Amino acid sequence: MNRRSRPLNDMDQQRDVLITLKRSVGAPGADALKEWVDRAMKESIPVHDIRCALIQGVETLRHRLMSSDFGMPDFLLSIDSVLDGLDMLSGMEDAGSMPDTPIVIGVVKGDPHDLGKNIIAGIYRAYGYRVVDLGRDVCSDAFVQGVALNGAKILGISAMMSTTMSAMKDIIRDVKAKYPETKIIVGGAPLNEVLASSYGADAYVESAVSVIEQTMAILDTD
Amino acid sequence: MGVFISMGRSAPTQFLSRLVKTVLSGQVPPPGLFPEWMLDGAASLCSARASLTPLANVERLITTLRHKEPDHVPCCPLVISASRRLVGASFPEFAQDPYIAADALLAGFEFLGGEIIVPMLDLSVEAADFGQSMVYPEDSTPHPDYSDPLIKDVAGYGKLRRIDLKDARRMSNLLVLYPILVGEVGFRGAVCGFCFGPLGVLNMMRGAEHLFRDCVNHPREVMAAMETITDVLIEYVEAQCDAGVLGVTLDTLFASWNGLSREMWERIEGPFVRDIAHAIRKKGCLVAVHNCGHGVYFDSQIRFMEPDIISFAHLPDDCKDRKELKARYGDQVVLMGYVETPLLSYSTPFDVMQECRKMIHDLADGGGFILAPGCEYPPNLHLDNALALVEAARKYG
Repeated sequence: MNRRSRPLNDMDQQRDVLITLKRSVGAPGADALKEWVDRAMKESIPVHDIRCALIQGVETLRHRLMSSDFGMPDFLLSIDSVLDGLDMLSGMEDAGSMPDTPIVIGVVKGDPHDLGKNIIAGIYRAYGYRVVDLGRDVCSDAFVQGVALNGAKILGISAMMSTTMSAMKDIIRDVKAKYPETKIIVGGAPLNEVLASSYGADAYVESAVSVIEQTMAILDTD
Repeated sequence: MGVFISMGRSAPTQFLSRLVKTVLSGQVPPPGLFPEWMLDGAASLCSARASLTPLANVERLITTLRHKEPDHVPCCPLVISASRRLVGASFPEFAQDPYIAADALLAGFEFLGGEIIVPMLDLSVEAADFGQSMVYPEDSTPHPDYSDPLIKDVAGYGKLRRIDLKDARRMSNLLVLYPILVGEVGFRGAVCGFCFGPLGVLNMMRGAEHLFRDCVNHPREVMAAMETITDVLIEYVEAQCDAGVLGVTLDTLFASWNGLSREMWERIEGPFVRDIAHAIRKKGCLVAVHNCGHGVYFDSQIRFMEPDIISFAHLPDDCKDRKELKARYGDQVVLMGYVETPLLSYSTPFDVMQECRKMIHDLADGGGFILAPGCEYPPNLHLDNALALVEAARKYG
């Protein structure tokens, strides 16, 4: 191997590792992804590039989500393993990390369903956002306080029941009254874009497929 | 239409005695009591007469179920908990007292009209009887106490025990409710029972997130619990049929993009709901499927359950629009739906009627369509838009 081709080979090898890492997102077996993150770290691949490969993997999964061959169980387990992989990178120098964009998220009062909220929170974390999860059965005051304490640029609110969704209207009113610059995203089975807009939300997210693009779009409107 | 007719062919005396008994007690006999040719003949006659005179509700239903054109499409407004307001009952009263629920649902039927009532209380009925602790809010639908799931870990699936229907308070309440409704509604409409699918019941006792992970990591344990649940559900649907309902609705939410992949659903829940559907059909009753998920696997559900009706809220996974839906599935199954919940929540009655008009235009051609919301009518919403739904069926159907 001559001197000129050596760096190129290293790069090829690193590229192969990153491609395999990206493909391991969503592959069967909980440990495969962690093994490839470990391998990438041993290859001294920049943390930023490892993170990007993981995000690209999640990107592919998100677009497979609303399809018949990839269900919620596969998606949840994939996000779990991506978050485990990201944990392995924590504390390492990451020059190209995402800007700090705190996102506060929660389910409205009276609603016990938090699966959708948890999925969205997991995706945000996988993309490098800092997520403050208020949980479920959250009253309006707690949402306002959550935004205040964390300087949230985004507030995500979920409701899965038609009997609880109208609480969103009050929460949005209360948050916007104090923090008009905070962008509010809503989601849940009984909602659609028109209803979300009538409540004063900045965006309605129908599924995990589009949440990142919509979040980036409303942040860009500033 | 997968109507079970062997009873009519192999045991004419039994057939006649059940038919006479049902009719004399003022109830609509289950379609399975009749041979297919007789149902088709009756439907053809009704369809021919429909252009001359209005049909009775039951005639309209038979015509629709046999994929012939009635005078107008039947309607099932799916006003369930919302009907409690007509009798001044609270959510907990409606959910826990079968006589109050009967009064409310009958008031809804008298007030709104329509051809079909689906009396269900909430999705936690079966889980509560297995021992899941419940929350009964004053202003919202009852639900499991998710902070205290019955199945706390993977070992919990194996600890689930079969229950006796007579000790099952909430299911027993429905078995009190059904005969009251069947008797009161009589020939004016159809009462269709309801049963949450076994995976749905398990979801109520384990929580969706854990259950989904367990379906991948511990499928054997999940399916062992499904076996236990299914045994009870079969007994439950048979008791519903004996109570005089025309059919039973199976809710299979997880056969959609919101649940499992098609392959996993066919492996994990498909075989169990096939057995439940078979038990319903064996009683001569209709099998209906309700699934309000996105991208419902119509073909898988038809293969496993051979339903007569599919009630849905969104297009199936393999259809891009209503036209394709009608072309692909319109002659295999009666389509029931699918006015969306948000539209009912924010629109005026006029807007609801216009949406119904478009839906009827796209789906009602040649029969086989029942106008309905995609999911339960919002329980805290005024009933104007439910009235609009029924009126649209009558006016534009």
